[in-house]
Amino acid sequence: MSSLSGRLLATNFGSPPGVTVGDKYVRSLWHITYYIGTPLAALVVGLIIWCLVRYRVKPGEEHRVPAQFQYHIPLEVAYTIIPLILVAVIFGFLYGGEDKITNVSKNPAIKITAEGFQWGWRFTYPNGHQEQGTYQAETNINSVANLPVLYMPANETVQIRLISDDVDHGFYIPAFLFQRDMIPGVNNVVDLNVTKTGTYLGECDQLCGVYHSYMRFKVDVMPPSTFNSWMSSQAPHSITNAGVHQ
Amino acid sequence: MTIIQDRPGPQPGAPHGTLVEEPLTEFVPGPRPRGWVKFITSTDHKQIGLNYMVTAFIGFLTAGLMAEGMRTQLIAPNNHFVTPDIYDQLLTMHGTIMLFVFLGPFAFGLANYIVPLQIGAPDMAFPRFNNLSYWLYLGGFIVMTGGFLTNNGAANFGWFGYAPLTNAIHAPGPGADMWLIGIALTGFSGIFTAVNTITTVFCLRAPGMVMFRMPIFVWNQLVTMFLVLLAFPVLTSALGLLWADRHLNTHFYEPGGGGQPILWQHLFWFFGHPEVYILALPYFGVVTEVIATMSKKPVFGYKGMIGATLSIGGLSMGVWAHHMYTTGAVLLPFFAALSLLIAVPTGIKFFNWIGTMWRGTITLNTAMLFTVGFLAMFLFGGITGVVLAQPPLDFQLHNTYFVVAHFHYVMFGGSVFAVFASIYYWFPKYTGRMLDERLGKLSFALLFIGFNLTFFPQHDLGLRGMSRRIAVYDSNLGYNFLNALSTTGAYITGIGVIPTLINIFKSMRTGAIAGDNPWDGQTLEWATSSPPPDHNFESLPPIRSERPLWDANHPDELTRVGH
Repeated sequence: MSSLSGRLLATNFGSPPGVTVGDKYVRSLWHITYYIGTPLAALVVGLIIWCLVRYRVKPGEEHRVPAQFQYHIPLEVAYTIIPLILVAVIFGFLYGGEDKITNVSKNPAIKITAEGFQWGWRFTYPNGHQEQGTYQAETNINSVANLPVLYMPANETVQIRLISDDVDHGFYIPAFLFQRDMIPGVNNVVDLNVTKTGTYLGECDQLCGVYHSYMRFKVDVMPPSTFNSWMSSQAPHSITNAGVHQ
Repeated sequence: MTIIQDRPGPQPGAPHGTLVEEPLTEFVPGPRPRGWVKFITSTDHKQIGLNYMVTAFIGFLTAGLMAEGMRTQLIAPNNHFVTPDIYDQLLTMHGTIMLFVFLGPFAFGLANYIVPLQIGAPDMAFPRFNNLSYWLYLGGFIVMTGGFLTNNGAANFGWFGYAPLTNAIHAPGPGADMWLIGIALTGFSGIFTAVNTITTVFCLRAPGMVMFRMPIFVWNQLVTMFLVLLAFPVLTSALGLLWADRHLNTHFYEPGGGGQPILWQHLFWFFGHPEVYILALPYFGVVTEVIATMSKKPVFGYKGMIGATLSIGGLSMGVWAHHMYTTGAVLLPFFAALSLLIAVPTGIKFFNWIGTMWRGTITLNTAMLFTVGFLAMFLFGGITGVVLAQPPLDFQLHNTYFVVAHFHYVMFGGSVFAVFASIYYWFPKYTGRMLDERLGKLSFALLFIGFNLTFFPQHDLGLRGMSRRIAVYDSNLGYNFLNALSTTGAYITGIGVIPTLINIFKSMRTGAIAGDNPWDGQTLEWATSSPPPDHNFESLPPIRSERPLWDANHPDELTRVGH
């Protein structure tokens, strides 16, 4: 992970690069927010500092008389209208991006069910194969060796149905710049299309009880051919328990 | 309604243009209670206001210690200073106490003390009801904190208490019930205070004090109290349903019985977002008063400022679901648009504050320093708020430390700094003595540095992917240094409160005598003695603008009409 200053100087403005197709929408929103927010903040802070420096009563000018004006309608209208326009611009950008990110495909390459429970994960594939693991297999927060693994192909639309067995959980993969809650009674389906192969860390980010911090998982994003051969080597309705060597 | 009849005003037969100086109470039955008896029995709005503020500040210190405990746990990766369960209790009670016991009730205390004074009223409209509000509030504080003394400890499911983690299976034990009852008690207290303040503002204004001559602080309190009336009953009802789920086997939030856990989130945030403005608007009022007084100017764009407050109040009722973007169960564009819109009236306030300082004569004392600190940090919290109002960015940052940083910039850098500004600004009125400026500036410097050191790094932690509410974190993810930095800042912040505490205890006895009007103030609270007598005013200056005292003291520096 690069330093904050490095990331600020790069075009992501502090946000790490994402690895999904949704990344470009997130990035465009960071850009537009920074381009609008930074000059505006600089203007406001500059004016405040100017007031404090220029209009502070310094020794020797105790008898300076403060100006007693109260209204300046054109100015007030200006600082109402201009922010409205800026907000409308931001809204225009986010409306398009938000639609792309939450869109759910009718024909995904593969459908996976991700199930959260106190405190672990279960990933079920179309043939009934399950990858699962709990906090008991990996009690050391510094180790990721025995976490349950979500296998998925790169550059394909992977549709994940998110369900919870008990309380609210959160499906969060920082590198994907994405999360979605898992709430009993809410049917959540998300599409992920990861463009970069590799292993990423995911976690529950909704407080779900005592061992919440330990409720993590790994995501293994493989080239489609590798994924297909992995998938075909898994027997239907077989179960792989993380940390248990069969 | 003898109180109204006792109010000062032109009397028939009095010479034209003079003010009648008559005692406001007709008889005083024996010696007034003092000390503890006064604390327990008083219906004087000033005593109740101080009771609120002192109790709220004790809540601030209590919850602040819990925060220090959490930051100590997070100082290093895989740390075991407290167990995960204790950590969850600390994070739950820190949030609950800070919101329901400190920030809201401190503002209620200010409403009690300052609002009647600023509108020239002798007391709140319902003094005994007011006393009841305070005792409900204190009861709520004791009950919810008492959870720590029970078998399973205090509530441990977060201040937001998402169902079904709060049900009888996942949260057994009395700690959760005490949390629930405690919040309900403070909620009733808030509702009663709102009724009282609204009635006071509408019915007890002095002659000449029309609505558009009320100080901005009173306007902001009025809008806040309407938000309290709209928001708190929803929370109290939601808590009632939760209690029924826990004890009567109902299924409002139970998925197994056909209930909907998401219902709790809607009800909670329908309260929760107006609550954010309930905790912010009174403090906007405080900084407006401080800026105007310390710049010796009228509030720039007074009516625009009131319009901004009203639109913030209105919009805040329609943005609750921006806390729920990631649930996948809300209409994103609608709530995103309204959330972004709130930035506009907030921006108007900033420009009005700058306009108020413009070409003034600014005294940069401790109250003003805390106010400037408020401006800088609330601005930053507002901008990260615009980031989080955008659903795609919220998908990235929700439930990470970025959010923690954002709302602490708003609630601590904003509201808490305004709490300190209010203490330094109005302490002379409460006690008749000035606070020490050197200790005050030391306190400001420590709090400003400590606060930024604590919360600025948390933005980056969130961008790196560290989620909230985790008791331990992996040492390999680049979180270590920033967390150590943040904890160091938390200790400095904690130390920064101490000079103000010393200052208060010292100055109560030995501070310089303040006199009625130490700041050359503009509003009516400075027109009476410090502290004000029972029923507040011997006489009132004529009220011809929103700053009657300034007009009386500076007849050659009246507000210039036109623009």
